[in-house]
Amino acid sequence: MNNLFKVTQLLAEAEVKFVIVGGVAIRGHGGNYVTEDLDICYSRTRENLKKLAGVLAPLTPRPRGFEADLPFIFDWTTLQHGTNFTFTTTMGNVDLLGEVKGLGIYDDLISQSLRVDLDGFSANLLSIPALIIAKTAAGRPKDEAGLKVLYALRESEIDDE
Amino acid sequence: MMDRKREEKLLNPRPGGRIADARDYGIDLTQLVENLRLTPAQRIKNNDAAVNSFRKFEAAVRRRKAEQKATD
Repeated sequence: MNNLFKVTQLLAEAEVKFVIVGGVAIRGHGGNYVTEDLDICYSRTRENLKKLAGVLAPLTPRPRGFEADLPFIFDWTTLQHGTNFTFTTTMGNVDLLGEVKGLGIYDDLISQSLRVDLDGFSANLLSIPALIIAKTAAGRPKDEAGLKVLYALRESEIDDE
Repeated sequence: MMDRKREEKLLNPRPGGRIADARDYGIDLTQLVENLRLTPAQRIKNNDAAVNSFRKFEAAVRRRKAEQKATD
């Protein structure tokens, strides 16, 4: 069962430094986008890698597309040896981005995100203008509809009086 | 929650604007209005529910195809 909301909650409660980017962020802003992945941009400090690994380890993450019979060890040093990861977990796909094209690293994204209340906890959601920059920079045909939604949402919230 | 002015903009987009462009592209603006009436938490939970429903549907189709193949 997908439970990306619960993953977000676990990350927030463990005080992991992260910003929600991608489809879940579009959804959080009101988009009608349906996504199977929770994409987050995370701080790559040693302390944060340990917290992040501590949350994900019980969800038995494995790289997506990795052969099922191949051994895979996940701990904070796994995260230290890479930047971007695409994992399957028991609660759904979780993608970890050390850097977002067009925007930068966690420290760059945090000033372009909103702190949103998620029924008892809060998390950083990448802003609509920043999502537009990221999706445009990614240049993927599959993002075309998402960009249309983001531009529409942005226009709807602009005070034109 | 959404204010009425924002809802009005989405339901009656100004010609030539980004909202009208999204509508013309095929985006269902009434879905955006519905989503904006929810809290961010509800929106994300609804995404999980949608994904889980799709998966159940896919599994049911796969089962049905396997049953049909077995009886052919």
